[in-house]
Amino acid sequence: MNLEDWYRQDRLPHIYCAGCGNGTILNCTLRAVEELDYKKEETTFISGIGCSSRAAGYTSSDSLHTTHGRALAFATGLKLVKPRQHVIVFTGDGDCSAIGGNHFIHACRRNIDITVICMNNNIYGMTGGQGSPCTPYGAISTTTPYGMQEQPFDLCKVAEAAGANYVARWTSFHVKELTEAIRVGLETPGLSFIEVMTQCPTSFGSKNKMRQVTQMLDMFRDNAVLKAKADRDAAKGILPSPEKFVVGQFVRRNNPPLGVEAAK
Amino acid sequence: MKLVVNERRCKGCNMCTKVCPYGIFQEGKRPGSRGYIIPVLDHPERCTNCRLQKLYGRQLCGMCQMICPDQAISWIDEKPFEPQKVVIEY
Ligand SMILES: Cc1ncc(C[n+]2csc(CCOP(=O)(O)OP(=O)(O)O)c2C)c(N)n1
Ligand code: SF4
Ligand code: SF4
Ligand code: SF4
Ligand SMILES: [Mg+2]
Repeated sequence: MNLEDWYRQDRLPHIYCAGCGNGTILNCTLRAVEELDYKKEETTFISGIGCSSRAAGYTSSDSLHTTHGRALAFATGLKLVKPRQHVIVFTGDGDCSAIGGNHFIHACRRNIDITVICMNNNIYGMTGGQGSPCTPYGAISTTTPYGMQEQPFDLCKVAEAAGANYVARWTSFHVKELTEAIRVGLETPGLSFIEVMTQCPTSFGSKNKMRQVTQMLDMFRDNAVLKAKADRDAAKGILPSPEKFVVGQFVRRNNPPLGVEAAK
Repeated sequence: MKLVVNERRCKGCNMCTKVCPYGIFQEGKRPGSRGYIIPVLDHPERCTNCRLQKLYGRQLCGMCQMICPDQAISWIDEKPFEPQKVVIEY
């Protein structure tokens, strides 16, 4: 199957706003799936609710568009019943870490053999740009008009501490690296969590001095620090500046996964 | 191969203008059939993939296609094939 066959042609063009990073992440995911030569019948995309979660509806294989925050519960069920199925979850920062926070922690703890792609646009995009647990300190959203006063979650650290076998973070600017990370995640048994920093130009960029989509891409390029560099800086005692974030692979380990067929 | 932008899909976000190493995508001025400002292509025959895909038998570069959130960028076969003189400035 070639890349174009993985898109559900009758649903394109999709409903995302101009310059929404979710479309880019969909490209990278489908490219990784295509590179691994997965069969359509053996692949299922599952999502919750949100702009990010609509991605599952644009794939030509089977997909489940479930309830808000519950994609991981549905995915766990599917994987346990059909262990041979490749299960890929699309989720958003709100879907994954607010209403679905508990499912997220326990899916990582169970180390269920699925791949979770979290499109982190720092807000609730679909409902009009309210603050989420991933809104950066000081950022403007419709519910934080004077700037966010809470600290955001570091979703990768949560996933790592809870027990996921593979954890990585990239952005919608780093398309090659992201595709590679998704491919490695798909190949790693156990829960693979890939956080993708992405732009919501409509509700986040426009309120935070990045009116143009390209300004958000520049921000990702300039503020992303490779893990190796971050580790070197930490060893030298250099404190990271608050607007920077670390990208790269954080963990890849071999803890016993759930939902993998026992070798016969 | 020929680089094409699908006007029915492009929403004029200009993300493609950020990634091409040759600067082939330039911000457009005129709206396409759906009212979005479509980027214009500056000498697209310089594109690595246009020139070498057939020779290598696989896709090369492809940054613009990967980042395009609206799946608007692709390559089509040019028939009959016309040899072209390509000048690349360094
Ligand atoms: C049970 C329930 N509560 C609230 C909502 C309203 N709701 C829909 S999408 C959404 C937020 C989605 O945010 P996120 O997961 O970050 O997705 P994004 O749109 O940003 O991609 C909310 C709160 C809902 N649909 N169901
Ligand atoms: S509201 Fe934001 S996240 Fe939703 S489609 Fe538009 S740009 Fe994308
Ligand atoms: S990235 Fe795609 S949608 Fe955006 S301007 Fe370029 S061709 Fe159009
Ligand atoms: S494939 Fe690469 S060289 Fe060709 S137009 Fe796209 S970004 Fe430019
Ligand atoms: Mg969100």
